[in-house]
Amino acid sequence: MKEDMAELERLGQVDPPGPGVPDAAREVLWSAVATEMLATTPPDAAHGSGEPAAGLTADEIARRIAEETTRRPSPEDPAA
Amino acid sequence: METDGILIERSARGRPDAFVEVVRRHEVAVHGFLARRAGRQAADDLLGEVWVRAFGGRAGFDPAYSDARPWLYGIARNVLRAHWRAARAANRPGVADAEDPWDDVIDRLDSAAAVQAPELSRAVRALPPEEREVLLLVAWEQMTPAQAALVLGIPPGIARSRLYRARAALRPVLAGEGS
Repeated sequence: MKEDMAELERLGQVDPPGPGVPDAAREVLWSAVATEMLATTPPDAAHGSGEPAAGLTADEIARRIAEETTRRPSPEDPAA
Repeated sequence: METDGILIERSARGRPDAFVEVVRRHEVAVHGFLARRAGRQAADDLLGEVWVRAFGGRAGFDPAYSDARPWLYGIARNVLRAHWRAARAANRPGVADAEDPWDDVIDRLDSAAAVQAPELSRAVRALPPEEREVLLLVAWEQMTPAQAALVLGIPPGIARSRLYRARAALRPVLAGEGS
């Protein structure tokens, strides 16, 4: 199957996403993730006496988002 | 390494951030799926939409599947259809048919490859859409017929028979192009 598909495969070759594209898409995802994590925060956590159900504080979530949005792909990164 | 199924299940059970690792694993592949069908610019725009839809629907993912790619391609396919429908409704040029936009796809493919294989391009264009879809999932996305069936929501046997017919139709052209 592989042999007779080679020409067809070449027809569908595209370049990988440009720098920043995966980061931008993940930033969109992180907005949804953060919204859900904060929404599942127990009532006592919302008053500063506990942690969100997911085990992360709001500050930690914000830090993770900041990391994601400033992370840049490297040649060694298979996700880049 | 944990499977996609484990990560997605965890993300649905109190650790939504676990989903980001699944995204990291498949973002290049899903971008390629989008780019091959809608062009790079649209792929850049739509990638985040795929992640948000997948994240919102992760509770429906069967964690027994170790590879999330077929599921993600199925979501990407729905996002593409919505994109094409919206473009068509807005009368934007370059979107001929929301359900079978092959004329647009071939125009957006790498022009050198299309020029080098004009007969093949025409032959693929002439395939019934349902056969073409299975064929391209196998040829372009390296799916097995069973995985292609998951993407399309059809029984594996139907995917195999569609692939068989598509390959049979292309065989004379592929033999000619390769010689």
